[in-house]
Amino acid sequence: MGKLFAITLDGRVYSCKHCETHLSLAEDLMSRNFSSRHGKAYLFDKVVNVTVGEKEERLMITGMHTVVDIFCVGCGSIVGWKYEAAHDKDQKYKEGKFILERFKVLGPDGGIYLPVVEGHDSGSEED
Amino acid sequence: MGGLEDSGPPLKRVKESSGEAKISFRNSICFESPASSLGVPMPRSLHSQGDGAMTGTTGVMRKQEFVKIITRALYSLGYNRTGALLEEESGVPLHTPMVSRFMKEVQEGRWDESVVTLHEIGVSKDDVKSASFVILEQKFLELLQKGRASDALNTLRNEITPLGINVNEVHKLAARVVFHSSSAPSTNGAVPVSSRADVLEKLEKVLPPAVIVPEKRLEHLVKLALDVQRDSCVFHNTFDSEFSLYADHQCGRNKIPSQTHQILQAHSDEVWFLEFSHNGRYLASTSKDHSAIIWEVKEDGEVFVKHKLVGHQKPVSIVSWSPDDSQFLTCGQEEVIRCWSLHSGECLQVYEKPGLGLISCGWLPDGRGVLSGVTDKSIILWDVDGRELECWKGQRTIKISDMAVTSDGKRIISICRDNAILLLDRQAKMERLLEEDQVITSFSLSRDNRFLLVNLINQEIHLWSIEGDLKVVSKYKGHKRSRFIIRSCFGGSDQAFIASGSEDSQVYIWHRSTGEHLVALPGHSGAVNCVSWNPANPHMLASASDDRSVRIWGIGSVGFKSSIANTSSNGCSNGNSNGFIRRSFGRR
Repeated sequence: MGKLFAITLDGRVYSCKHCETHLSLAEDLMSRNFSSRHGKAYLFDKVVNVTVGEKEERLMITGMHTVVDIFCVGCGSIVGWKYEAAHDKDQKYKEGKFILERFKVLGPDGGIYLPVVEGHDSGSEED
Repeated sequence: MGGLEDSGPPLKRVKESSGEAKISFRNSICFESPASSLGVPMPRSLHSQGDGAMTGTTGVMRKQEFVKIITRALYSLGYNRTGALLEEESGVPLHTPMVSRFMKEVQEGRWDESVVTLHEIGVSKDDVKSASFVILEQKFLELLQKGRASDALNTLRNEITPLGINVNEVHKLAARVVFHSSSAPSTNGAVPVSSRADVLEKLEKVLPPAVIVPEKRLEHLVKLALDVQRDSCVFHNTFDSEFSLYADHQCGRNKIPSQTHQILQAHSDEVWFLEFSHNGRYLASTSKDHSAIIWEVKEDGEVFVKHKLVGHQKPVSIVSWSPDDSQFLTCGQEEVIRCWSLHSGECLQVYEKPGLGLISCGWLPDGRGVLSGVTDKSIILWDVDGRELECWKGQRTIKISDMAVTSDGKRIISICRDNAILLLDRQAKMERLLEEDQVITSFSLSRDNRFLLVNLINQEIHLWSIEGDLKVVSKYKGHKRSRFIIRSCFGGSDQAFIASGSEDSQVYIWHRSTGEHLVALPGHSGAVNCVSWNPANPHMLASASDDRSVRIWGIGSVGFKSSIANTSSNGCSNGNSNGFIRRSFGRR
């Protein structure tokens, strides 16, 4: 893999668990009340150093959404997804925002997160 | 108009009528249509149907004008007999007798007579004044030159000034008199006087072109056509303009380097950067394997290893050639900068900042110093012996940053924020900011220091003009970039092309001024990180890839050679003193 281009963030940073590439700032955190297959997930306003996958329609508890999975540019591991479109009007606020799975990132204090296994096997969900 | 025969074939009659027209109708404003702006009825309304016709493939040229400029060109080439013959055969005289007389008088320096003739040619009053000024100015200057200052002054007062134009010029001429009389009379070198031929040229410009056909008119038109052809030839990539007038110029696609000529495998890990020396005789490549390699380019285009430079403890991210190519700098990633001699391959100097890492480097033009970006966002200037001379603190550079210095040493260019490039003028102590909407990943400076090629995170390349107002002049798209630093460069003859690496393993080339994507060259089996176009050979392009190889691209289908460098025989140079050659293998 060539010379990596990764943006360096200043402040309290959330970074990739595997390679510590910066992903987002604590000040961009919008909500902690989301969840995914691996447990807790956070909604962020802005995320850097990720590449996107193919657009997909996913059915979540809150309705049908168009999402793309996001991957860390440093190591390629999947770290969450981005909402491209929400079909329900009251879900529109999520459009253009990002979900980082708590299990895949290191928090600003460096803490890792142990996932809660909930036995769901149907895609990702939110509270 | 007497003396014309009505009998005779119409063709002949028409020719004579146009001959008539020339004498009495002062075709200085010669439109062939009867609705001439002179407002004088033409003797023969048939005049417009004969040679007044339009010609050319789309009827876009006036035949008379076309013949006249050909005649003028013949005389310019020295074919006086043919010129005269053409005038006679076509019945289109180059100049009216009045004009010919005028030109002869000017040529012979009979100024007063020429001014008289000028009034009879039949041009507008303003043109008469301007032309008179030119003639009388020459008369004045020649008188001065001959030392006849009082006559010159007379001319100035009584002939030039009453014209009432070009007041500034009149004052300058008056000043000449003063200057001339105060210096020795024989110093005529102090008063430069144009030749009579120059005067005719000035008159050509002042009078309407139909009166005196401009001398190099036909050549000028041909040159314009060639310029248009050249500009529209997107593949144009030759040193000389080998233009033939027989057919429109169009370079084939085969003028752009698009065939692999050599695959150079000497690095043991990803190759991240490469650059040709200014004289195009050497190529420097750097790699994740902590080394840099200097390749020599032979006359026949073959490239082989000259030095392998070991000493860095980190991947080498960049190389910078000294202005005279005798030395070059290598920068380890967030590590130190090493200066090497091209000739011996020895490490001459190590530049470092204790506790911090260096991220970029550049030369001052006369080799008097070395600039570098530092991990603490500042920029440092060292002298060649490693002493720190100056330090620009603050947000000057970011961790992933490029640096360039203009070849006159005046400006330092560095990415100072995610989406902004700093243009720091050292002398004027001025800073300008080039701002983009997207994050900037790398940039490249043109050889003439006037343009910056900026690579953005969204896979676009923007060409900025950085002289005067900062503005985008072109955009290039098509290549792929999502994770790595991919570099692009200028190249080809007149730097008319843009080339770039790409994460899809191809080399991309665009036409610089139209932005048209020309080719995408497959061959590498890994992301192409960097490209460099040989400044001395517009047909040679080099590319560096994650597949650990460097490819040399050229034109024509030459069978390519794959060379695995024989490092033992070509001299390995070490930066360490213990002579241990360090090899590191990538994790693959």
